[in-house]
Amino acid sequence: MQRLHARFAAALLAGAFLLLFPASRAATADGDIAVVVHPGVPVSALTFAEVRKLLFGDRQYWTPDLRVTLVMRAPVAREREIVLRTIYQMTEAQFRQYWISKVFRAEAAGGPRIVYSNDEATGLVGALPGSVSFMDFTQVPKGLKVLRVDGHLPGEPGYRLH
Amino acid sequence: MNRAWRCTCLLMFVGPFALVAQTPNSADMTETIKALLARIDRLEKRVADLEGTAAPAHVEAPAVTASIAQPTTPSPQPPPGSHDDHLAATEAAQGTPQSPLLKLSGFSDIDFSATDQHGTKSGFNEGQFTLHMASALAPKVTVFSEFTMTARTDAGTGSPPAAGFNAEVERIVIRYDQSDYFKVSFGRFHTPINWWNTAFHHGAWLQTTAARPEMVQFGGRFIPVHFVGGLIEGAVPAGGLHLNYNVAVGNGRGSIISRAGDAGDINNNRAWLVNLFVKPDRLFGLQAGASLYRDKIGVGSRNFDEWISSGHLVWAKENPEFIAEFANVNHTETGRLGSFNSQAYYVQFGYRLPEFGQRWKPYYRWEYIHIPSSDPVFIGVQDLAGSTLGMRYDISTFSAFKLEYRNQRRPGLPRINGIFAQTSFTF
Repeated sequence: MQRLHARFAAALLAGAFLLLFPASRAATADGDIAVVVHPGVPVSALTFAEVRKLLFGDRQYWTPDLRVTLVMRAPVAREREIVLRTIYQMTEAQFRQYWISKVFRAEAAGGPRIVYSNDEATGLVGALPGSVSFMDFTQVPKGLKVLRVDGHLPGEPGYRLH
Repeated sequence: MNRAWRCTCLLMFVGPFALVAQTPNSADMTETIKALLARIDRLEKRVADLEGTAAPAHVEAPAVTASIAQPTTPSPQPPPGSHDDHLAATEAAQGTPQSPLLKLSGFSDIDFSATDQHGTKSGFNEGQFTLHMASALAPKVTVFSEFTMTARTDAGTGSPPAAGFNAEVERIVIRYDQSDYFKVSFGRFHTPINWWNTAFHHGAWLQTTAARPEMVQFGGRFIPVHFVGGLIEGAVPAGGLHLNYNVAVGNGRGSIISRAGDAGDINNNRAWLVNLFVKPDRLFGLQAGASLYRDKIGVGSRNFDEWISSGHLVWAKENPEFIAEFANVNHTETGRLGSFNSQAYYVQFGYRLPEFGQRWKPYYRWEYIHIPSSDPVFIGVQDLAGSTLGMRYDISTFSAFKLEYRNQRRPGLPRINGIFAQTSFTF
């Protein structure tokens, strides 16, 4: 009987521990979305507000000779959902309306380029000078440049894109 | 009238539900697509692993590296050579075609109105048919244009003129970008002295409400809606304030003051304006700004100096949406003492309801215009105090229904109540 009580207490303690100290996702890059850019982009770190300006089309040039090209995953992709939720803070419909009105206001010639897989995103970001995209950090191939956001890389504590 | 608008209301509210009822269960579809996309990503990762190009799962983030792993298209690194070579390479890389590529989109709306104003008739009418064109001539040169067809009772031929459509080039702008800090445009603009005027243009679908505020109505005289000339604009970080500026010089108002000087200025004095606004990083969604506009205008044989000062405060998100604008128009007759000040403002609230797929958005707007009766420039422009209460329903991503009740009061006239319905869309 005493053994049963001890087991029950241990299980209770373990449960309480798990509740108080959930498995920290900060220690791993699983689920983090990396901001990847063409290697020629002369920037290695951005603030979260600067990332937002890029995505909203408020910043359209890295330098006077290098235009920003946004590369976005098509709807339903996890990367797109995270970018819409954390950066745009918009629904899919609001996001589409935003870019239609942005072009209508003559503030941009077009919306982001749409890709249907991370492989396609990788190819485009590698090929287009000034391009920037978002992809699962575990799927970033060698050669692409990953930007720090607010001083953090994906997988580090404090990284916000997940 | 009552019967007509009851039928319309019924159509407006039953229609969306009927359409929604026919929509297949999209949740299952979404889950299937998600699963397929996840599978594609897993397969891609596996291919990359097999090719030995994928980074290990816990690799340090790579710094700048010289090569790309198996790009699907050739890497267009800027070749050594002149700036022109670089530009040509960039254009080629960014897919600039051999000839300009025109992007076309359309906007339109169909409206119904019924009011208790004496002498008016209820019924349907076509809203503006709008075509928007954009064409990138080069990575830093872009042309934008907006063309409308507006139904009018007097736009046709014959005597008296038959009803028809009035065609208008609302905007035609060519813009040269130096950088984010400096962009130069020439053409016919919507005058950037007012937030609404440059935020929504002629696409009724883009704005929450069915109609624009009275102070910025197309064809209205309170502020010059259009402007022909040159514009310099840009944005600077300004310590997180994200300060935007517009500086413009142009023809100003035409001989009919609701029109821009499309075919030339009416005098040798150019109009100019300065518009400044901030979008602070820390308050995402907020925009606040002010502007100043100066022109010399002619009304008959009399000349007037015109100063317009305005300000706006906008919370651009939809939960909630808040828009407030104010403008003061000052007229002083040349060579005379004394001036006339007219004021207009509006405040609009909206809130996209989180329920029902975030399709419903109730809104309210209060607007006010005061014109001194002695202002010779604004003769015929009436004071206004009015409310608009409505509901927007987004039937799909690209179309919406709006139903509004408006109450307007003008001095010396009976109060007007009206029901307005609109379906607006982009295509």
